[in-house]
Amino acid sequence: MQDYKYIGHSAERVDGIEKVSGAALYTDDLEFGPDLLYAEIVEGPHAHAMLNSIDTSEAEKVPDVLAVVTGKDFPFNFGLYMKDRYIFAQDRVRFYGEQIAAVVARTPIAAQKAAKLVKVNYTPLPKILDPLTAIQEGADLIHPELKNYDRVPWFFPTPDTNIAHHRKIRKGDVDKGFAEADYVLEDTYEVPRYSHCAIEYHAAVAKFDHSGRLTVWASSQSPHTQRNLFANALAPLGIRHNDVRVIVPHVGGGFGSKAGVTMEIIAAAIAMKVQGHPVKVMWNREREFYNTYQRLGVIAKLKIGVKKDGSITALKHDLYWDAGAYVEYAANVVNAVGLSAIGPYRVENASIDSYCIYTNLPPGGPYRGFGYSEFLFGLESHMDRIAQHLGIDPVEIRRRNAIKEGELTAYGAPMNPNGLLQAIDRVAEEVRWHEKLTSNDPNIAIGKGFSLFWKAPAMPPNASSSCFLKFNEDASINLLVSGMDLGQGFLTVMAQIAAEVLSIPTSKIRTENPDTDRNPYEWQTVASHVTWGCGNAVHKAAIDAREQIFDLIERTKHLPRETLYLEDEMVKCTTDPGFELLLKDFVIYGIQMEDGTFKGGPIIGRGSFMPEFTSTISDPETSQGGHPNVHYTVGAAAAIVEIDKQTGKVRIKKIVEAVDCGKALNPSLVKGQIVGGIMQGISTVLYEEMKFDHRGKMLNPNFTDYKIPTALDVPDEIIPIIIEVPQPDGPFGARGMGEHTMIPVAPMIANAIDNALGLRITSMPITAEKVCLALLKKEKKK
Amino acid sequence: MAIPYEFGYQKPATLQEAIALLAEHDKNARILAGGTDLVNELKQGFRVPEILIDIKGITELKNIQLVDDQLEIGALVTFSEILHSKILHDNAYILFEAAGLVASNGVRNRATMVGNICSAVACMDSASPLLVHDAVIHLISSQGERNVPIQKWFDDNRKTTIRPNELVTHVSIPIPKVKYAGAYQKMMRYSGEDLSQANVGVLLFADNTVHVAFGSVGPIPKRSPKIENLLKAKGLSADTIEEAKQMIEKVIAPITDVRASKEYRLHMCKVMFVRALNTAQARIKKPKLITKKLHYEKKCLQSE
Amino acid sequence: MKKNVFSLNDEIRSIYINPNETLLEVLRDKLGVKSPKCGCDSGDCGACTVLIDGKSVRSCLILAIEVDGSTISTLEGISKDGLSPLQKAFHEHNVFQCGYCAPGMILSATELLKKNPHPSEHDIKEAIAGNLCRCTGYIPVIEAILDFTKKD
Repeated sequence: MQDYKYIGHSAERVDGIEKVSGAALYTDDLEFGPDLLYAEIVEGPHAHAMLNSIDTSEAEKVPDVLAVVTGKDFPFNFGLYMKDRYIFAQDRVRFYGEQIAAVVARTPIAAQKAAKLVKVNYTPLPKILDPLTAIQEGADLIHPELKNYDRVPWFFPTPDTNIAHHRKIRKGDVDKGFAEADYVLEDTYEVPRYSHCAIEYHAAVAKFDHSGRLTVWASSQSPHTQRNLFANALAPLGIRHNDVRVIVPHVGGGFGSKAGVTMEIIAAAIAMKVQGHPVKVMWNREREFYNTYQRLGVIAKLKIGVKKDGSITALKHDLYWDAGAYVEYAANVVNAVGLSAIGPYRVENASIDSYCIYTNLPPGGPYRGFGYSEFLFGLESHMDRIAQHLGIDPVEIRRRNAIKEGELTAYGAPMNPNGLLQAIDRVAEEVRWHEKLTSNDPNIAIGKGFSLFWKAPAMPPNASSSCFLKFNEDASINLLVSGMDLGQGFLTVMAQIAAEVLSIPTSKIRTENPDTDRNPYEWQTVASHVTWGCGNAVHKAAIDAREQIFDLIERTKHLPRETLYLEDEMVKCTTDPGFELLLKDFVIYGIQMEDGTFKGGPIIGRGSFMPEFTSTISDPETSQGGHPNVHYTVGAAAAIVEIDKQTGKVRIKKIVEAVDCGKALNPSLVKGQIVGGIMQGISTVLYEEMKFDHRGKMLNPNFTDYKIPTALDVPDEIIPIIIEVPQPDGPFGARGMGEHTMIPVAPMIANAIDNALGLRITSMPITAEKVCLALLKKEKKK
Repeated sequence: MAIPYEFGYQKPATLQEAIALLAEHDKNARILAGGTDLVNELKQGFRVPEILIDIKGITELKNIQLVDDQLEIGALVTFSEILHSKILHDNAYILFEAAGLVASNGVRNRATMVGNICSAVACMDSASPLLVHDAVIHLISSQGERNVPIQKWFDDNRKTTIRPNELVTHVSIPIPKVKYAGAYQKMMRYSGEDLSQANVGVLLFADNTVHVAFGSVGPIPKRSPKIENLLKAKGLSADTIEEAKQMIEKVIAPITDVRASKEYRLHMCKVMFVRALNTAQARIKKPKLITKKLHYEKKCLQSE
Repeated sequence: MKKNVFSLNDEIRSIYINPNETLLEVLRDKLGVKSPKCGCDSGDCGACTVLIDGKSVRSCLILAIEVDGSTISTLEGISKDGLSPLQKAFHEHNVFQCGYCAPGMILSATELLKKNPHPSEHDIKEAIAGNLCRCTGYIPVIEAILDFTKKD
């Protein structure tokens, strides 16, 4: 293995000191001076209603109110993959709490007071709160205009229904596969909605100045995508891309919720109506729950056929997604799962139907794992049940079916190099899978559970990244990229990549969250792709800078470039050990020649990257023929749990997780992702639960009753394992792993609970209450 | 979020000044101690007063003391102070135990026990321990002093029998003449900060008397004379405990809400009742309760 | 409006305050002290934690008018003379991810270590249990504090 100086080392975070010192500033920490205006949102108290009229006259009379804006001011739709959203509701509201209007005032209190005075007249419509009702014959249409919406060419809505997108896989012959099976298991799994719960709210400040410049400061994962969507949506008001500037300071967590565009467009739009003033739109904890993206709910019907030895003969997976009121982003979650719902297995005969269904609940959208946590809950539960029926060890059945490099995915493209088998073996060994555990306390049951995972980035085929690298006088570097550090450590590993190529210590490389005017293009920080995609751009930029350095040395010192190399911030030569030239002596100032002139000039590297092998063009009836995903990251995990049989309370003794990240550019950050992701996964399976009433109103939009874990709820032990089977097209062999770490947790815990109690729970969350009541029911039956 | 309502603020230095202010403003005043409930209510526009009377300047309300056979806990005593009080640890361990399960350290540093029973939100943690200890609430107003036994204190969810011009000065707990030990069990959705979905307090005496209280399973927390009488009459045995456990469904009527279903609450009350009783029995056998250091030992407390 | 005088990060500050302003609002909006964050505005998350007279409290649940005469510390004060050894330990361990919970978490840990320089793992969990973090899974925070106290 190659010896690296910076890559593979646990460098300290480049933003670490800012964060531990309190210096790190987030959007709401920025100062905008005494002219700052505040907006308050008027929300609709219906999950589904026609919006007949809005009377803003009383609100406008409140002192300190500058403007009241409504949907009439912005009759534009927008969206990332399908334009089905509006800045404010137009003729109809589609979820409880949807934004109807906004009041802009000098003080938050004046805005709040005025917002209460906006009178809205509605005609309530029948509301649809679950996906199966939404697809019944004759169901009311939530988006009658569906067929007219602009969308990407790989989405397939069913006109005049609530099905916004239907992704189908047809591979091999499933009927034949089931006929050949020795055992077929069929069941339905339910996974409800979840909330991201980044601790920082969404926040946006926008200013449309008198020169026509629209600047938006936002807590966002997607500055360039925001610029693009703002410019496109506001084009009717004369806005062009180069008029829009998005600046993103530190972001207090995203997990998908701050991808694409949600509330930020409200700030951008209302700024247009109060030209010259900065205007702030702050979400609060409640709105974080009911008016940003939520993780989609799903009802998954799964049927798998196997031979006696456990090998899969056929798989049929029908997924009915509760995608909510607007699916401009959510439909791509549905699409991604449609392409990948065979899991990390070799499946010759597969049929998948993944339906994106409109409901009158808040908009679904991207959430760490992008649908994979949801479908793997059922699939990995199913694998255990099949193993149990056949009398095969759950680890062994997974080993036998695990997909290998070159074997075909559901859409017919070959699987990338991967360390799935190593991951399985390492986890089984670390958790002592074959060792039987028994409890001394008759009230405590002990069990073990296993799960595999996989996930590919879900992106448009032309999602791209770029980088500028500029040297400073002392050979320190400013690295300009537009990926976002959401906490995962992106900026640190970008610095490490440049450091490795250019021999400049990471501590001398400054790289910060972007400003779209200054930093080059990045699609978005989602899909666990930026280490790979933007990392490639940085790698290219660093090589570009290095080649410029070698050009200059070759030209001025007449040394053959193939003998040149960089070490310890110097150019050195393999054939002339005496030759050493400090980078700081020439990367800005150039090299002085004998005649006193200077050659060279500031060294500026550039790099851009696009995965040129991907395509979403395929047969819509089978999805065969394209190459929609760049690669999959895989891994395995296992848990040991103890369950209090009287209370149903699950205590996690140990979790082991192995992830194949190709190359761990910074092992400490990789381990941080593993531990944090596992905890988020534990939270979704054991504690979190969104509750809605019959009106579609969320009942627990707060941390008092939507429980995310505390330090007292951590497992006794988490063992992270790094597997490194290089990704051939990744920077130093790396591939993404940030989202993946939470994906196996829910099925693994469900499997452990079944192992301990003989109790199979097929719906999430698996709260203490659910376990306990199921146990009581089971005892009664006896 | 800014509090969109205006109100006045006074911080009296003496009890007399506080009483005078209360007499002047009557129901338009609210008492501010820790404020952890009150400030949230103000933000929500719930019971916004004309004036807040901040009693934190009145030093005599800050005490925890043993006076003869009475344990007195002043109106300004925070849950953190309870957790650092040797007197409470030694004499009302169940209260100490419950205090460790209130919210989190940053809230306990501010929130007061008296505030907890004055807010009287059904899921409060202090009530069951005080009920089993037959605590007495001491009030003062311009009309004089008044004592209310804890059993007559709670009127409804968020409602007590306090009068608008009254101020709670302290709560007293009579120290029993015989040896005793208590235990508190709280139903939570996980180990971290959570509001009680149900709780059980048990106080066991050497003469085999048992006091049992259930909290968070109705609008107000309650003692259960039926169970107490049964255990007193028949003594503590596996059979009588089982009989008492089955009686619980006739004693309480929990509801289903966003936090838990009534089935689970009822089941958990039975489980917690038995566990609390078992813990109390184990504790009463010990020569002395004081075994652990006092700071941050919640887990040790629970597993004792 | 009432004039309040208190010590903020070792500096005596006097400022006019309305009774309906929370300490969090006054610190952030009137005094420019931005490390206390708002993450729930109802006392659940701990992002707004500050120390009053050495004790960690929720500044979103305290009216600014209440702190007259008190001593208030925020992370800005702790960092004034360079990072404290505890902050350095957090940095060296790459503990925080998004960093939004960091100010509150560090203040809670600071309070703990002042009272109890050699806490057990459980003591640490109990002390930071009121600081919600969605990124780290807490284990790195606990390990960094434990490691720090062992070095002592």
